[in-house]
Amino acid sequence: METASFWGRVRRSEAASGLALISPTALYAILLLAAPLVTVVLYSFAQSEQGKIIWDFSLDNYIRIWSAPNVQLIMLRSLTVAASVTLATVLLAYPVAYFVSFHVAPSKKSLWLFLITIPFWTSYIIRVFLWKGIILGYNGVINTVLMGIGITDEPLQAINYNAGAMVMTLAHAYAPFAILPIFVSLEKIDRSLLEAGQDLGESRMMTFWRVTLPLSMAGVIAAVLIVFIPTIGDYVTPDLIGGGKVPMIANMIEVQMLKQNNKALGSAIAVTAMLIVCVVSIVFLLLNRRFLSGQK
Amino acid sequence: MTFAEDKPNMIEFKDVHKYYGDYHALRGINGTIKAGEFFSLLGPSGCGKTTLLRTIAGFEGISSGAVMIDGKNMAGVPANVRPTNMVFQSYAIFPHMTVGENVGFGLRKDPRSKEDKAKAVAEALEMVGLKGYGGRAAHALSGGQRQRVALARALILKPKVLLLDEPLSALDKKMREHMQIELIKLQRQVGITFILVTHDQEEALVMSDRIAVMFEGQIAQLADPETLYRRPATKQVADFIGTMNFVPCDILSDSGGTIEVDAKGLGRVTLSADQVPPAQGVDPVVGLRPETLTLLYDDQKAADREVKGVIDEVIYFGDMTYYDVYLGGTDVEVRLSMRNVPGRPVLDVGTEVRLAWSPTALVLFR
Repeated sequence: METASFWGRVRRSEAASGLALISPTALYAILLLAAPLVTVVLYSFAQSEQGKIIWDFSLDNYIRIWSAPNVQLIMLRSLTVAASVTLATVLLAYPVAYFVSFHVAPSKKSLWLFLITIPFWTSYIIRVFLWKGIILGYNGVINTVLMGIGITDEPLQAINYNAGAMVMTLAHAYAPFAILPIFVSLEKIDRSLLEAGQDLGESRMMTFWRVTLPLSMAGVIAAVLIVFIPTIGDYVTPDLIGGGKVPMIANMIEVQMLKQNNKALGSAIAVTAMLIVCVVSIVFLLLNRRFLSGQK
Repeated sequence: MTFAEDKPNMIEFKDVHKYYGDYHALRGINGTIKAGEFFSLLGPSGCGKTTLLRTIAGFEGISSGAVMIDGKNMAGVPANVRPTNMVFQSYAIFPHMTVGENVGFGLRKDPRSKEDKAKAVAEALEMVGLKGYGGRAAHALSGGQRQRVALARALILKPKVLLLDEPLSALDKKMREHMQIELIKLQRQVGITFILVTHDQEEALVMSDRIAVMFEGQIAQLADPETLYRRPATKQVADFIGTMNFVPCDILSDSGGTIEVDAKGLGRVTLSADQVPPAQGVDPVVGLRPETLTLLYDDQKAADREVKGVIDEVIYFGDMTYYDVYLGGTDVEVRLSMRNVPGRPVLDVGTEVRLAWSPTALVLFR
């Protein structure tokens, strides 16, 4: 009797039904997210010998990574590329989001947003090949045009297989991700605030600077995070656009994990990269809190 | 209530028209607003009153005509250089700033020192009763406080004209009545021209020196509150301002100076010229306010005219009672208001009563 009523109570309790409802997702997250993460962290403190993991806990991997100049170079390059992509994407996305929010008729806004997502209609790999072959390639649009109008006699090598080409490709790929959060934050701004800014003696430009921009910073910071985090770990673009000549962190991890069969060192690089992303994200989240604190 | 006619004109509307596509929002607005006046634009929603206010602020261009502020044509003058400031309906308090930063927003180009500006902000906050609120976050304020911040933020710039777009509509009744009186006092204190947009006729009557009543993009009447109430220019204005009884009538003679009518249930009346506004082409009716009809108790005698009636409805308000009464043997129903005083009982439905009234209280619409 006691037990029955106890189980009856458990079954009826909100907490139990809540747990039951989230259990599939929770299980999925634990198995596919938490468990691999823990494994990678554990690996990073172990040693690899001929592909086998030796559970000999030390910081050797990290010491190796942080003292190797080529690792530092690649880390720095990843950061630079991700930062450039983020900067370019957000700077280009802001005017688009602003235009759609402020200058497109309300009835047409959803159409515009729909059009902005067009790049997502094809797979990223295909779009990378488009940039690589058709636009930036040896016989691509840019080289053909440059040769056609007589600026160069032979195809330029410099526009492919370098960090600049990677930034361009990634910025194109992530544009919608940056436009949408900025658009949302601009949409939320009460338009009478902008009129108030002008009414109080500021030009449109200064009203933008003192009212619109600060109030849309939450969206800008969201865009920064959404673009920065995936690009710093991007693997496909350096491999294909960079042609393996300008590797980034992900490529280095791949080399250690698969080619060198050094899972321990690969894991340590992965954890290091994660920490860098964490630090950058936390900085931006703190900034975001500052901007969000002023809003309802 | 009489307003000094000799004051200079602050705002002049010269045949202002405004189209939104095919929609004719303002249809030939003419009129002047005097310096230092508390002026109201009153009308139902969609009558164009807010549009007209926004043409003064510079947020709306006009299709034709002219808006003059202090003698200068405002055509092509953007909002940020006009000598006007606005209190928005939503108050438009900048959520990312403190109360002090909000109030000091317009002082960026002010050549005064930082300390002097801070002092001005503190003084402005004190003026609206928010002393010491400068450091508070703007988003944590109540509705009434937000409105005060909006007022301080506009008044600190010492505009020639303060525009108020339904500033009290978001407040509860008590707070609204309190702020009405505060705004009147504030206006007297600063001496700035206030232009208030409202759909609340009571609010307009309480606060304004003069009122422009608007319908469908036109000013139906521009007058002081008493004239507006006692001598409405059109039936529409009469209906919009307060309560007005309309009694159908036949026009018997029109001599130009006086008009004789036969009002249903009231009988023959001779009206003087000031009781007859220009004809508008409506079926002739005489209008009379509820308080111009008085119930006669016991052996009280009417000072002027008397009419019999039957009470159809009793509406009790505490200090007042409203009676709906059928006029002597007709289907014409009028509403009258009686102040409740001790020893004068509230009467029941169905009671036969005598009413006192005076022909001088009538207005003829035709």
